[in-house]
Amino acid sequence: MKPMTRGLRWSIFLRSLTLQGSWNHQRMQNLGLLWTVLPWLRRNRRDMNRDRVFCRRYYGFFNTNPYLANFLFGGLIRLETDQDAGVEVLPGVIGTFRDSVGRALASLGDQLFWLGLRPTLIMTICLVGLLGHISSVLMVIGIFAMGQLLLRWIALGKGYDLGMDIVDLLFDPRWHLWIARMKRAGMVLTGMVAGLYLAQVAEAGGVADRSLLWIGTGLGMGLPVVLRKRLPGELLIVVALVLALLLTFAI
Amino acid sequence: MALWVPVALVSDPTWSSLLILGLLAGILALDDTALAQTWFGQPLPAAVLTGYLCGDPLTGLAVGLPLQLVLAGNLPIGQTFTGDSTSASIAAVAGAILAGKHLPPVLVGNSAGTWQLLGWVILGAGLLSLLGHLFIQGERRVNGIWMLEGLLSLRDGRLGRIEQLHIRCLLTTFLRGFGSGILFVLLMVKVWIPLFTHLPPALQNALGTLPLLLPGLGVGTMIDRYGLKSSWLWVTAGMVCTFLVAHYVV
Repeated sequence: MKPMTRGLRWSIFLRSLTLQGSWNHQRMQNLGLLWTVLPWLRRNRRDMNRDRVFCRRYYGFFNTNPYLANFLFGGLIRLETDQDAGVEVLPGVIGTFRDSVGRALASLGDQLFWLGLRPTLIMTICLVGLLGHISSVLMVIGIFAMGQLLLRWIALGKGYDLGMDIVDLLFDPRWHLWIARMKRAGMVLTGMVAGLYLAQVAEAGGVADRSLLWIGTGLGMGLPVVLRKRLPGELLIVVALVLALLLTFAI
Repeated sequence: MALWVPVALVSDPTWSSLLILGLLAGILALDDTALAQTWFGQPLPAAVLTGYLCGDPLTGLAVGLPLQLVLAGNLPIGQTFTGDSTSASIAAVAGAILAGKHLPPVLVGNSAGTWQLLGWVILGAGLLSLLGHLFIQGERRVNGIWMLEGLLSLRDGRLGRIEQLHIRCLLTTFLRGFGSGILFVLLMVKVWIPLFTHLPPALQNALGTLPLLLPGLGVGTMIDRYGLKSSWLWVTAGMVCTFLVAHYVV
């Protein structure tokens, strides 16, 4: 196996950070994907026709999770390198690999990052904020930022080393273990935010009513059930204002 | 310890202060989706960063915390709504500080007198975020048009066009954030905050309740996201333990 050069790895890594930079409704991340893998083509230009086929391969509909995408990019570069070196890669395999692994990573990423890590991190910074540690809010986000950059760098190398075997990596049960842990941590932290807020209300004495926390919580849980859809937070603010007005007149 | 040197953006917005805030909004707009996604563009970090930049991080915390909690359920899965909470948070914090207001967080010290204005500023941020959503959708439509232009490269093999188109999209995101940031700050300082004094007293009182309702709303939204059945035990455990420690031990 021909190793990935350091220059190519850096180039693809930096470009992969902008995968969603040209996100569009028609083909989502396709332009970002082609832009990310172009450094490989620039180093291995053959003839006009093969270059066009290469570009066409990466310009179709594409969507995956940006944090885990580098596993796939590494794998794709490995397949292209193998094919270029004369290793037999069946026609259409690269496209199928791109689509199926991309979808699997999107699904894993939704669970791990958007439903697991993000709420956990958000509740962590809210907790830190409630405690009054203002600069720690930025520190927590900074640690996450460094961590995810490191993950992307490692994922690119790992994806290249594994090639098609990334599929085995996707079956690793530890992914689901981490997803469950992240969600549980998020639930506990959500409770901690509520607990700390209640304690602060109790400490403040008469200026605030702790029932407002329960009213807000009930509203947040009840609205999606009543409306059969989740409202964006911005509209929830407006709903909360209407409720506050009603409370003002009721008291 | 003062970690940051405030840019002295206090008092009326000058061109230089608007330029600095616009740059921050542009960079964080890139971070939100287009570049790296480090989550510094989330409402609370964006508000705190703006607070530091304007020399009043406490106002950043006061505005950013309830906003962050109520927007916690806005996850980029299975929904087309995005909102522009980044530019809105920056504008809310900068607008309040530039208008000469200091907003301490709710329940901190003797801050009850400022809750009404805080509620008004948070409401303004929510509405600005809705407005920003339209700009984001416009930007994505433009991205779509440019993406189709890239199909030419599949015919003539000009790779440079692909590079240019992607960079153009990134630049557009930056400019959208930059423009929204400046526009929203101006709207906050010149229109929204001066409007507060003209509000009827009943609405002002209701606005005072708003910052107290939002944390519960955020908690409720998250419980709904996790599912009540699977989360109630963990949420309750976290809540009871933290309340007991915070109320009786600390």
